[in-house]
Amino acid sequence: MNQRRQRIVFWCMIACILAMAVFLAMQRKRGRERVQALGNTTLLDAPPGNATPITLELANDATGTLTPTTRDVALPDAPNARARTLIDHLIAEYSQPGSAHPLSPTTPVAEVFLLPLPADSPSSRSSRTIFRATDPTTSIPDTSGGELAVVDLRSAFASEHPSGVEVESLTLLSIVKTLHANLPQIEQVRFLVDGQPRETLAGHADLLKAYTASSNAHTETDSDTNP
Amino acid sequence: MVVLDPAHGGLDSGSRISESTLEKNVTLALAFKLRSLLVARGFAVTMTRDADVPTQPDASGSTLTLDDRAGIANHAHAVACLLLHATAAGTGVHLYKSDLAPAPTLPSVVPWLTAQSAWIDQSSALQQQLANALSRASVPTIISSASVRPEDSLSCPALVVELAPTNSDPDSINNADYQQNVAQAIASSLVFWRNQVQPPQPSHPPSPTHPAPPTARKRTP
Repeated sequence: MNQRRQRIVFWCMIACILAMAVFLAMQRKRGRERVQALGNTTLLDAPPGNATPITLELANDATGTLTPTTRDVALPDAPNARARTLIDHLIAEYSQPGSAHPLSPTTPVAEVFLLPLPADSPSSRSSRTIFRATDPTTSIPDTSGGELAVVDLRSAFASEHPSGVEVESLTLLSIVKTLHANLPQIEQVRFLVDGQPRETLAGHADLLKAYTASSNAHTETDSDTNP
Repeated sequence: MVVLDPAHGGLDSGSRISESTLEKNVTLALAFKLRSLLVARGFAVTMTRDADVPTQPDASGSTLTLDDRAGIANHAHAVACLLLHATAAGTGVHLYKSDLAPAPTLPSVVPWLTAQSAWIDQSSALQQQLANALSRASVPTIISSASVRPEDSLSCPALVVELAPTNSDPDSINNADYQQNVAQAIASSLVFWRNQVQPPQPSHPPSPTHPAPPTARKRTP
């Protein structure tokens, strides 16, 4: 009889251990998913302060145009954080229902870096200007006063972005023009995805070139009326 | 010679136009129609791929990169290079030229990433000509500029030709009559274009003391 009780107790303990192991594994998985979701969705906190008017260059897929739109947003003081907040708000607009340029609601940017442009690389000369080695004898590099913004996109944003020449180009130009409208010192923008250069955003728009803020790309003309 | 580049292929499906339609299949179907019509009009046609998987550039087993496609086009010395894409957005045909700033002359050393800049004026003229032809064929057409790989690396009059559905139904992009109409308008326009295209002038014209390149010698009486 005792042996039978001992056996029952033993198997009950084994069952409890297994149940506990399964429960802990599930809790661990849930916790990991919660942390990942938090990392993907948490917007950069705006510092306490007054909201200032910003200009978002909102894209419209139907017309292929960008329209400047004003919003009141509290921006951080640091230019890098300010640039990142601008892009976050821009993409958040596109994830709203009824958007004319619908994008999925993900946090688009991992980081934005602002770098001074060399003095002899005006953005109008070439959109593919890459850094030139500065004279090592000069202690302060000669700069044009303009800045290059390096926008490091998240791969989740790129992989979920709709594919197509127009829709991809509009997203990139919208980011470039919004940055320049609110931070005029930004003259060029380059894009990375997860810190690495990538050929295209979603199969079409070139991500290897530097986009100039003065670019007039995507000024569309419907030739229906002009046969 | 005309170069047709049906975008995507193989594992790269391009955009999903509808549940049953992939961009890579639409671009290939349009390319086949265009090739037939162009060959019938006396053009030699080079396609960067004529099957789902891109043409292999060599026996190494590697698939074509975007730069490989540009290399094929540049070696062809074509009168027009058309990069064929497809989209579910909008209707009709969207024609994109490169958004590079035009270079007045052809530089002696052509940078790979901005080779198209010397050909922008020619590409603009081709864009306008194709747009007019498509409008005459009652195809809604939008002309614009964009940065689409590998258009900027092409040393020929180059355009991205993006086919969109005829109406709100995305699957209407597969309509054979519609594709045939578009291909016919483009092919007819290229017949006229063949006599208009002029390569950009070199930046340093050959001096009389140096031997002239073959193209210059032809002009010498």
